[in-house]
Amino acid sequence: MELSEKLVRGEGRFVDDIQMPGMLYLGFARSQYARAKILKITGAQLTHREVNFEVVEVGEGATEGGPAALSHPVLAGEYVGYVGQPIAAVYSDDRYVAEDLIDSVEVEYEPLKAIVDPEESLKREGMYPGIKSNAIVDRYFGKDFNPDPSDIVVERRLINRRVATNPIEPRGIVAAYDGHKLTVWVSTQSAHSIKEGLSEALKMEPDRIRVVQVDTGGAFGLKGGLFPEYVVACYLAMKEKRPVKWIETRREHLLASRPGRGVVANLRLYAKKDGTITGLKGDVIVDNGAFTGGSGEFSPMFIARQLAGAYKLPNAYVRAVSALTNKAPQGPYRGAGRPEAMYFIERLMDGLADKLKMDPVELRLINAAKETYTSPLGMQVEKSREFLESAIKELNYEKYKGRENVGFAFLILYHATAGGESARIKVEEGRLKVWTGGNAHGQRHDIFIKTLLKEELGVPEDLVDAMKGDTDQLADGVGAWGSRSSMVLSSAVIVAARKIKEQVEKKHGKYTLKALLEGNWDEYEFFKYDKTESSLGANLVTADIDSYGRVMVKECLSYYDAGRVLDPDNARGQNAGGAVQGIGQTLSEELSFDEDGLPLITSISDAGVLSADLVPKFGIKFYKSESPLPSKAKGLGEAPTIGVPIALSRAIELATGKLILETPIRPEYILPEERA
Amino acid sequence: MVSKKHISITVNGEVKETEVEPRMLLAHFLREVAGLTGTHIGCDTTNCGACTVIMDGKAVKSCTILAVQANGKKILTIEGLSKGREKLHPVQQSFVDKHGLQCGYCTSGMILTSYWLLKNRKNVTEEEIRAAISGNLCRCTGYDNIVESIKDASKKMEEEGDPIEEHPEIKVRA
Amino acid sequence: MNPPIFEYFAPTGIDEVIDILAKYPGEAKILAGGQSLIPLLKSRISSIPYLVSLSEVKGLSYVDEGKEGVRIGAMTVDSDLENSELIRKRFPLLHDATGQLADPLVRNVGTIGGNLSHADPANDLPAVMIALDARFAVRGRNGSREINARDFFLDTFTTAMEPEEVLTEVTIPFWGKKSGGAYVKFKKNTWNFSVAAVAVQLELEGNKCTRAHIATTSVSPKSGRMESAENILVGKALTDEVINKAASEVAASAQPTTDPYGTEEYKREILRRITREAIRKALSRAGVN
Repeated sequence: MELSEKLVRGEGRFVDDIQMPGMLYLGFARSQYARAKILKITGAQLTHREVNFEVVEVGEGATEGGPAALSHPVLAGEYVGYVGQPIAAVYSDDRYVAEDLIDSVEVEYEPLKAIVDPEESLKREGMYPGIKSNAIVDRYFGKDFNPDPSDIVVERRLINRRVATNPIEPRGIVAAYDGHKLTVWVSTQSAHSIKEGLSEALKMEPDRIRVVQVDTGGAFGLKGGLFPEYVVACYLAMKEKRPVKWIETRREHLLASRPGRGVVANLRLYAKKDGTITGLKGDVIVDNGAFTGGSGEFSPMFIARQLAGAYKLPNAYVRAVSALTNKAPQGPYRGAGRPEAMYFIERLMDGLADKLKMDPVELRLINAAKETYTSPLGMQVEKSREFLESAIKELNYEKYKGRENVGFAFLILYHATAGGESARIKVEEGRLKVWTGGNAHGQRHDIFIKTLLKEELGVPEDLVDAMKGDTDQLADGVGAWGSRSSMVLSSAVIVAARKIKEQVEKKHGKYTLKALLEGNWDEYEFFKYDKTESSLGANLVTADIDSYGRVMVKECLSYYDAGRVLDPDNARGQNAGGAVQGIGQTLSEELSFDEDGLPLITSISDAGVLSADLVPKFGIKFYKSESPLPSKAKGLGEAPTIGVPIALSRAIELATGKLILETPIRPEYILPEERA
Repeated sequence: MVSKKHISITVNGEVKETEVEPRMLLAHFLREVAGLTGTHIGCDTTNCGACTVIMDGKAVKSCTILAVQANGKKILTIEGLSKGREKLHPVQQSFVDKHGLQCGYCTSGMILTSYWLLKNRKNVTEEEIRAAISGNLCRCTGYDNIVESIKDASKKMEEEGDPIEEHPEIKVRA
Repeated sequence: MNPPIFEYFAPTGIDEVIDILAKYPGEAKILAGGQSLIPLLKSRISSIPYLVSLSEVKGLSYVDEGKEGVRIGAMTVDSDLENSELIRKRFPLLHDATGQLADPLVRNVGTIGGNLSHADPANDLPAVMIALDARFAVRGRNGSREINARDFFLDTFTTAMEPEEVLTEVTIPFWGKKSGGAYVKFKKNTWNFSVAAVAVQLELEGNKCTRAHIATTSVSPKSGRMESAENILVGKALTDEVINKAASEVAASAQPTTDPYGTEEYKREILRRITREAIRKALSRAGVN
C-alpha cells in the first residue's frame, strides 16, 4: 500500500505500535535539580553502578566535533547537570506500573548553585571537579583587523533562545536480543547513526546490531542521534533477554531531549557611508548544556563561519564559544546553526540600513556577492546578486517598499551534502525495493524516489517500495538532515538505478522494463560527495500588531533556489511547515528556565507550538536553476526556519518602532503604549 | 489492590467487552486492548490531538478520557472510517490527494476532527476549518495542505455522500 | 504520563454518589468530564484514591429556560452551551466564554459542573458565573442547598461545598431588559491558560448604570467580584472617563503574579485594557453606544 494511504487509514507502524510477548516498559527517574551531587538512590532497578556507559556523539555535526571530554553518562554518576537528566531506570511489563515505579525511586541530593546563563558560565567556577573553564569550545575565525575610523558601526546583542524540537511523535525505541544479535526498532532520521552510536556505547561489534527504522512521526534534527535512554533499553533487553520498550513522554521531551537554538551573539558590523560593508567583529556564545554529545561542540563554529551571510564581507574576526550550562545538551533543530547565523547578520543589515536611512533591501543588493568567494570566516559564499535581483522582482518587493510592517530576509542555506549518501535497489518478483541511508521522518522521500525511478528506469510508481531504514539491508548510510536528501540521497538512488540499467543492458543487449522486472537485480551505491553545497533564498513577511501587542502574520512568502524541484507539492508542504516553525520561534516558542535552572515549560502548548488558527496561508515561488548533482535538485527544508524569523522580526520592528533583538519576542516588550 | 471494572464499548461497530483497570486511558484501551494503533499519543496535557476519536458523535481527545468513562459509548477510530471497504473514506482520500500529511503522526486525529466538522457544517469556511482543528497540532505541514484537504473533503462529502451512513452503528450524528 | 492507581465508582443515582463521597471524606472526588481532573492525575502532581463518576447518572445534561432564568445541568458539556441559541441570546457573556474554552475537542467533553467545581481561578467559567450572579444547586446528605456563585469560590481549588456535596445545577437569573455582558480573554499564542480575562455584566436605566458585576480570570488566587470597580460604574452614565477609571481600578485591585505568562505589571496592563473593552462591549450589547 502506498505510504499516504497507509497513514490515512491509521495503518502506519510507529514505534509505540510495536507489541511483543514478554515486553518490558522502561521508565526513568530523573533529576529534580539543575545541578547537584547525588548522595543516595533508593528504590531503583538500574543505576550508574550497573549501566556504566557514556553516550558517544553521533548524528549531524559528528564530523566536526571536538574532544568528547564531558560525555553524557547514560545514568547519572556522582553529579547531575540538568533537571530531567536520567538518574535511575525502572521497568515492568505494564507501562502504568513502570510509571508507579518511577515515583518510588528516591534520590538524596546535595544541591549546588546552578549555572543558567552561558555568558555568566564563562566567569564561573568549573561545573565539574577538574574542569578549569566552562568553555568547551573557544576558537577564533577570520583575522583581526583595524576598522577604518570613518566607518559606520552597528553594534547588536542578539539572542535566539532555546526551542524544543517537538515532533508530534516523541522519541521511542524497542530493543530485543536473541543471545547474539541486538535488534532495535526506532523512530529516527538515521538507522546507521543509531547503530554506530550503540556499537560504541555498548562496546559491541557492529555486526551484532541491527537497527530498523519504523514510521517516524517528525524529528526536525532531534532524532538523528543516540540518547541515554536508548542505551539503557538495549542494555536491559540484553540483560533480561526480553524485548524492552521506551517511549518518551512530552514532559520528558521538554525537559530532557536536545533542544535547539540557545545562542547569543555580540557583534559589530562596519560599513562605509555608501552602505558597503567592510567588516564584522564579535562573539557567538552557545548555551551548550551540561554535557557534550549534543551539537554544542560544533554549532558555535558552524554559526561563526556562516556570518558573512550571502554578502561580500572583506574582513571578519569572530570568537566562537560553547559554554557549559545546567540544562539538557543543545542539539540540532531544523537549521541547526544556519537560522542563528543568518538571523545575526540579517538583523545587523537591517540595523545598518536604518542607520544609513537606506532601504534595507537596497542595502542588501549593494552588498550581495557579485562573484563566488570564500569569506574570511571560511565558508564559500556563492555569487548572490543575480538571485537577489530576481527575488526582489518575484516577491514584488517594490509594492511593499517603505511600508511599516514588512520584513525581508536574504539567506544562504548550506546543505549538509558532504559525506554523501547511500542507496540500494533490489529487483525481485517484479517489484523494486529501495533502501536509503537517509531515513525520512515527514519529508516523504518515497514520492521523489518513485519519480526518479520512473525517469531512470521507466518503472511505474506502484511497483516501487520505498523501504524504511534497516542496517541489515543497507551496508552503510549517513542520515536525513541538513537539507541534504533531495541532493545526495536522490543522487545515490539515481546512480544505483543507472548501475542496474547497465547490468540489464549487459545481460540483454539493451535495456527494457520487461527485462528489468523479470530478472533479479541488486545494486548498492554509496554516492560520495565531499563538498558542502549551498543555495540562496529570500522571504518577505508582513505583520500587523493590535492594541494588545498581538502579532498577526498577514503574508509570508518564500522565494527559494531549490534547483530542480523534485516534488512541488511536497516542497510547498516543507515550506509551510518550516515557516510555521519560523513564526513559532519568533513569537512563541521558548524553553525558559528560572534562576535555579528549573524549567518553566511543561506542555507542548506552553512551549509555543502554533495551531492552525494562529498562522496564515503561505506562498512559495522557485528560482530556476540546477545543482551540479545527478538529481539537479537543491535542498530547501531548512530555508523557511532561516528566513521567516528574520523577515518577521523586521516586520514587527517596523510596526512597533522597537528594536527586535531576541527570539521569541516577548509580548510585554511590544505592547503598544497608550497615551493617558 | 484496585478492582478492575467491566466495560463494554462499541468500537467501529464492534462491541468490545473486557475488564480494565480504572486508570486505563481510552487511548490505551483502543491501542492496546482493541489493537487499533491508528490512534496516537503525542502529549500528556490534552493539547496535541493526535489521540482524537469520535465518541457518541463528537470529536474528543481519548488521552483525557478513562476507558471506564467510555463504558456503553460508541467510538469511531481512524480504522473505522473505511472499515470493510477497499475505497478510502472521502476525508481520507482528500488528505491523500491534497498532501494533507507528511510524517502521518497527527493525521488520524486531524482526519477525525475534520470528519466531525464536516458532519456538522456545510460550506465550511477557511476560518471555521482553522478554528475546528485548533486543538490538533501538526509540526510538519504548516497546516496549508491540511486546510486544502478539508476543503476538498467538504466537496467530496457533498458529492459522494458519507459511506459511513451505510453503517448506522458507527454513524456520527451532527 | 498516566494516572496513578485509584478506585472508580460510577453509580447511577446522585444519592449513591453522595454516599460514596461521604464514605471517603476528603479522599474521594467527583469525576465529571475530566478535562481538568484527568490531566492533573496524569501529571501525578496529586493523587486521588477514589473517583466517583457522574457519567452514569442520567438527567444532568440540559439547558432549560424557566421564568426566572436559565437552568443548566451540571453535566452539560461546554460545546452544548457554546451552540445553545438560548445562551447566545440571553447571556452573550457566557456565549463569549464557552467559544474560547480550551479547544473544540475539549469543549466536547468538559462540563460546566466540572469547570466550576474545580475552582481553578484560571478556568473561565467561575468569573462568568460570578458576573452573571448565578446560583449553584449543590446536593448533599441533607438534601439540596443553593450557593451564590460569588460565595462559592473560597480559594484556588477550594469551594464552599462540603466534601460530600455535588454541584448538580446552575441557574443564571435573567437580568433586566436593558442589560448586557461580555467576556474578553487575552491569551498568549498557544498557551494553555489566559494571561488575563474579564467578565462584565451591566444593567442600565436610561444611560445610567444601575447594576454592574465584574469578575476576573487568571489574575487572582480565587475568582471573585471586583466591587471597588463596580462601584465606580454604578449610578453613573458610562462615559469613557468612567469606564477608564473602572478599568484601572480592576487592574489595581487584581492580584496577578509574575510567571511565564507575563510579569505582574504586564498582566495588570492587559487586564486594564481588556476590562475597558469588555465594559464597552457589554454596554453596546445593552443597547447603549
